[in-house]
Amino acid sequence: MSNVIHASHLTLSYGSGDKEIIKDASFTIKKGEFVFITGPSGSGKSTLLKSLYGQLQATEGSLVVGGHDLATIRKGKLQELRAHMGIIFQDYKLINEWTVAKNVVLPLMIAGYSTEIQDTQARRLLKHVKLSEHADKYPLELSGGEQQRVGVARALAKNPVVILADEPTGNLDDYSSNVIWDLMENACQQLETTVLVVTHKIPTIFSLPYRHFIIESKGVYEVH
Amino acid sequence: MKFIKNHLMFILPLMAILLGIEFFLVFERTTDTYEKGLKDGYSMFVVTKEPMELSAFQALNEHISGTKLIKRENIVAEVTKGVSQSTSEEILAALPYFYNLGLDSYLHTSELEKIKKDLLSNENVKKVETFGNSHNSNYKLFSFIKFTLKIFIMFMAVVSLFLIIKQMEIWKYAHKERMQVMEIFGAPLMLRSGVLFKVALMDAIVATILVSALFLYIKFYWATQSGIDIMVQNQEVLFKISDIGLLLASAFLIVIFAVYSVVFSSKGVQE
Ligand SMILES: Nc1ncnc2c1ncn2[C@@H]1O[C@H](COP(=O)(O)OP(=O)(O)OP(=O)(O)O)[C@@H](O)[C@H]1O
Ligand SMILES: [Mg+2]
Repeated sequence: MSNVIHASHLTLSYGSGDKEIIKDASFTIKKGEFVFITGPSGSGKSTLLKSLYGQLQATEGSLVVGGHDLATIRKGKLQELRAHMGIIFQDYKLINEWTVAKNVVLPLMIAGYSTEIQDTQARRLLKHVKLSEHADKYPLELSGGEQQRVGVARALAKNPVVILADEPTGNLDDYSSNVIWDLMENACQQLETTVLVVTHKIPTIFSLPYRHFIIESKGVYEVH
Repeated sequence: MKFIKNHLMFILPLMAILLGIEFFLVFERTTDTYEKGLKDGYSMFVVTKEPMELSAFQALNEHISGTKLIKRENIVAEVTKGVSQSTSEEILAALPYFYNLGLDSYLHTSELEKIKKDLLSNENVKKVETFGNSHNSNYKLFSFIKFTLKIFIMFMAVVSLFLIIKQMEIWKYAHKERMQVMEIFGAPLMLRSGVLFKVALMDAIVATILVSALFLYIKFYWATQSGIDIMVQNQEVLFKISDIGLLLASAFLIVIFAVYSVVFSSKGVQE
């Protein structure tokens, strides 16, 4: 199985690099693996994800995603790489002036699918996250948990190769959480999608084998 | 309200540029007619001993495009009223020949002087009057006005372009969040800036329509009502329908330039 993500002596920091968030982290994630990342608030979980989709450059060490070194990747290649990712943000990052249905199919729109395909896919995806009746509403007309599920549906829209999820169930009750976990398990199992999930609570009922990383005191450690 | 203000801040400077372009066009056209008028209305006065053909004049200077012989009989008839037939015939025989010479283009004093010299080099030519002075001061004033107007239009255009880019930056800020989200999902530049383009192109169309309407009004209503001679005479060149296409193309070019200059300046959006 091939490496999807390979970090070696990775150091991440904001601004001029004086304050390190992650220091000297090395790990490898292979295709089709399911990974949970936990750690205290402010430890750098979101920061690590940000580096994985190329929004934050490593100050030291190297980070290779999908075979591309993110330090030297060209703009066009990064676009291509991102188009294969399904990203779920902690703060949702929905586009508020678009309807829920349009938000969900953003990845399909970027890939250039026809509006008919976008429409049918929007309906299918919203059904999966139990939001069918909200298709024509705008994000700000939804509850926090509903917005979060729109974000999840959007991330799954184009059957991504990698899912990067930041607290995808942070605002959800157990029932809705399980709906999300099921979707991700299915993606991982049926499509061999690599899934990285930042969460403060690993689900108790989880049928797939998974790996677990903890971020603490700037380090990234695997729990065995 | 904010929506209208937002668009006006874009449409007004764009209109200023388009107005400048259209003024420039109209001015070029009217001055063309005016220059043609000056050229056609101008003639040199030449006195020769013997009659001369156009080709003979042209052999002396190539700018000469036409000759008109002034009828000597008329002159003689004036001064020989009550004089006997034979005397008047004698006077006529002693009189030289008078010509008005037309030129092929509008020339400056120095060039007129050169033509005068060329003509006088022929022994047959007795006298040349160029009327250089009055003719040239008119033209100088005219050229000066033309030059100032062009500078003014250029200045307006540059200032307006800056205003357009400024407004574009405000828009970019308003659309920043969406553009960032789209970028994270791998959207190419064209798709990300699509909304900016759409809004800006709409405004370009609005600005073109407004400017065209203004000029059409001036042409078909105001120009004839104004009673200003130069307006009435030049009504035809005030605004041509083909100008709409030219204005629209200019507006689109400006918009594309503005959008790209703003979108490209925003690379590397870090949170
Ligand atoms: N854009 C930024 N500029 C500067 N510092 C930042 C920025 N974003 C985050 N930080 C800092 O980096 C550290 C890690 O933040 P991060 O968001 O990665 O934490 P987290 O583990 O995701 O926390 P939480 O569980 O609360 O979401 C924090 O101390 C935070 O203040
Ligand atoms: Mg976080």
